[in-house]
Amino acid sequence: MPQFDLVANTQLLVSGLAIGSIYALVALGFVLIYNAVGVVNFAQGEFVMFPSYVAATFLLPAVTVFGAVVHWQLPLVAVYLLVIVVMVGFGLLFNRIAYYPLRDRGWLPVVISTIGVSIFLRNAAQLVWGSQPLVIPGLFPVDTVTVGPLHIRPQDLAIIGVTSLLIAFQYVLFERTTLGKQMRATAQDRATARLIGVRVGRIVAITFVYSALLGTISGLLVAPLFTVTKEMGALIALKAFAASIVGGFGSIPGAIVGGLAIGVVETFGGFYISSAYTDAIAFVILIAVLLVKPSGLFGERVAEKA
Amino acid sequence: MTAANSPRARGALAVALLVVVVALVPAFVHSDYVLNLCGVAGIYAIAVMGLGILLGFTGQMSLAQAAFFGIGAYTSGWFTVNLGWPVWPAMGLAVVLSALVGLAVVYPCLRLSGHYLALATIGFGIITQLVLINWKSVTNGSDGMTGIPAPQIGSFAFDTYGRYYYVVLVALLVCAYIAWRIKTTRVGRALEAIRENEIAARATGIDATRYKIIAFVLAGAYAGLAGSLLAHDTKFLSPDSYSFDQSVVFLVMLVVGGSSSIGGAILGAVLLTFLPEVLRPLKTSYIMVYGAAVVVMVIFMPRGLAGLLTVLRARFVRGAPPGSGVAIPVAPGVEPA
Amino acid sequence: MIAPDAIAAAESGLLELRGLVKRFGGVTAVNALDMTVRSGDIHALIGPNGSGKTTTLNVISALYRSDGGSIRFDGAELSGRPSHVIAKLGIARTFQNIRLFGDLSVLENVMIGRHVRTRVGFIGALNPVGATAREERETRERALELLHFVGLGDVAAASGRSLPYGDQRRVEIARALASEPRLLLLDEPAAGMNPAETDTLVTLLRRIRDNGTTLLLIEHDMNLVMSISDRITVLNFGQHIAEGPPAEVARNADVITAYLGGTLDAA
Repeated sequence: MPQFDLVANTQLLVSGLAIGSIYALVALGFVLIYNAVGVVNFAQGEFVMFPSYVAATFLLPAVTVFGAVVHWQLPLVAVYLLVIVVMVGFGLLFNRIAYYPLRDRGWLPVVISTIGVSIFLRNAAQLVWGSQPLVIPGLFPVDTVTVGPLHIRPQDLAIIGVTSLLIAFQYVLFERTTLGKQMRATAQDRATARLIGVRVGRIVAITFVYSALLGTISGLLVAPLFTVTKEMGALIALKAFAASIVGGFGSIPGAIVGGLAIGVVETFGGFYISSAYTDAIAFVILIAVLLVKPSGLFGERVAEKA
Repeated sequence: MTAANSPRARGALAVALLVVVVALVPAFVHSDYVLNLCGVAGIYAIAVMGLGILLGFTGQMSLAQAAFFGIGAYTSGWFTVNLGWPVWPAMGLAVVLSALVGLAVVYPCLRLSGHYLALATIGFGIITQLVLINWKSVTNGSDGMTGIPAPQIGSFAFDTYGRYYYVVLVALLVCAYIAWRIKTTRVGRALEAIRENEIAARATGIDATRYKIIAFVLAGAYAGLAGSLLAHDTKFLSPDSYSFDQSVVFLVMLVVGGSSSIGGAILGAVLLTFLPEVLRPLKTSYIMVYGAAVVVMVIFMPRGLAGLLTVLRARFVRGAPPGSGVAIPVAPGVEPA
Repeated sequence: MIAPDAIAAAESGLLELRGLVKRFGGVTAVNALDMTVRSGDIHALIGPNGSGKTTTLNVISALYRSDGGSIRFDGAELSGRPSHVIAKLGIARTFQNIRLFGDLSVLENVMIGRHVRTRVGFIGALNPVGATAREERETRERALELLHFVGLGDVAAASGRSLPYGDQRRVEIARALASEPRLLLLDEPAAGMNPAETDTLVTLLRRIRDNGTTLLLIEHDMNLVMSISDRITVLNFGQHIAEGPPAEVARNADVITAYLGGTLDAA
């Protein structure tokens, strides 16, 4: 019976929570859009990828844009602000183009539309920035720090920290502010929200923007861990989607718990079972949940009226 | 009784004429490159038709067609390369195995609908691809499977693109016939009822569970056949081709062509196989155009190109039969998941 | 001497609910409901909003599973059976929020109604002639007949969705009739209709009954209910508070209380 390796397992736990936090943030983005408009956004991964590319363009000393090498490096804070502004616009545009024209047509056309946008963005990225992966430096000068016997990546800690702050912020937003309450009302029952004076169209647009910003933060946090490529968002989004279902589709705590759970299980599984099948773990969990309790950990069944 | 000049007879004649023209292509086109492309287009059309039965007719989302495509391809490949089976029975086995896997997959998914089902199929697809990549003893992993033989009848081998074209054509015609018969009879109506309003379908006496299973198994079988055909065409398999993205390609072909029309499935597959080649100079941008095209189609032409053609035909041809050319559910009554 | 069995059979209904229960979370929508619908009747189910009428219909047609009690249809127990089996046994229905197959043509909607009385399956479909073609033709002809019966013969080719609301309701009825039901459940068939349309509906419903189908309908239009019904069951809080011919029910004190002065004496 092998010894319980506290050092290795703690490191794995930190790693797992970090990537799990990313899944949680992206899953939150899904769930908020789903709650507001009843559709799953298959372009959520591009909400992560696109801002990463934009950030890279202004963080790196030299970047290839449309084949030409540019030197548009800006200070870190300026870049973050710029990316946020761009993504607000992105969220609004996305709402207007991919969702709004199809809002009365049921869920399938919108799903297909978001798939179309996803394809478009991924290849637009290749067109603009070429196919070479970009490497964004982390927030920290060193890749790992040594805390006693542990080797931890500060970026992982930053991810966990920022995500916790964001979740706290969101809690305050939804529970204490008017805007948050309007968003929740719209998510629960659009028709009634409209009747009590909520400007639903505006709230939906805001929800898309908020979701885009969640993706942005995820992208900025995770990009230093991997590289920035046109595919970086795709697998993350699929796993985040799986996480939101595991947690209970439509449930915000569910998205968070689901994301963290999948991140941790995946990291441990990849280490102890097989690294080749790491990516499968999230989906095996998903399928198991779908078979046993499709409403997930925190989800509720919705009765249908005749 | 259909009169010789009725719209139905004229439609049948038009189809027959089209089939004849298509059958004569290799007599006039000698470029291997073009013939190969035609074969591939036909193969994709079969897979897309299968998706059309599941998504177009029955309204069940599946993003796992590529997985069945791969299962069919590797089954056929493995039995011919490693066990020396002749090609035709191996193809048959590929279809049967894909159908069985489809059956195994659909059972647990029956309680799911909409997004849940879509995600379960995505999950299955990703897991399948990982298995194809990592089960090296059977599939040879990313190195690929080589040496897959061409089918033969006696000593006549279908080993040129011109000859293989006919293998694909026959398969395509059989699959199209089956799909057409389904669509125009009780089974097809039951499937469409499920798509339009599953609760009402059940209350009307349709065993929705059973029909969803049939649709799913058919989709898997069609994709398996297509995969097998591709294996004996390219004679080489790589697991990279059987990705989620490939399932998305099938979906795009169906949406662009017209999701509940058999002609639409074929049209979408042919168009989106040839278009990239035509747009080759625009290498990267053409896929962008795909994505944009999908969004535009879904917003402005939910019935796809086939739907557009039906509308044009109704406008310009007198007496054209009313098409129930249905598409992606367009109604506000569709319940979200 | 008339055998006790025969007496019992004469008094027992085509549809009998005994102690039917349906709960949603903490709410008991149907609370040990007893109801008897006699063969050949037009039977109305009325009650204030939220009294459990639609839920009862939904449980009968197996949209919901009951939490207790029994539903006997012509002697056979229905609870636990799925919707499509219940349709095959001879119960058809329409819905409060019309559920047509919107993108399909009106004719196809009604043809689908024939599903339980036809047989061609996947294998049979592959055959373009013979029995399959014959059944196709018969299905189409029968559907067209039914459309004429409800007065919509000339819109057979239109899409379900394109029809005005009242016509959609009639298509739903035609679709239900296509399965040759012995019992037809109608959930607020007159909802949204003007007086002229309601009169047409009344005539239609009487003709359906005269052709041998028993009707069980939920309605809020009291004029309609009083004029057309042979028997009425009044629900309140998921239980029946009165059951009998219209005149009797109208005089019932509990019923009047439940409606707090609703006009029951309109007929």
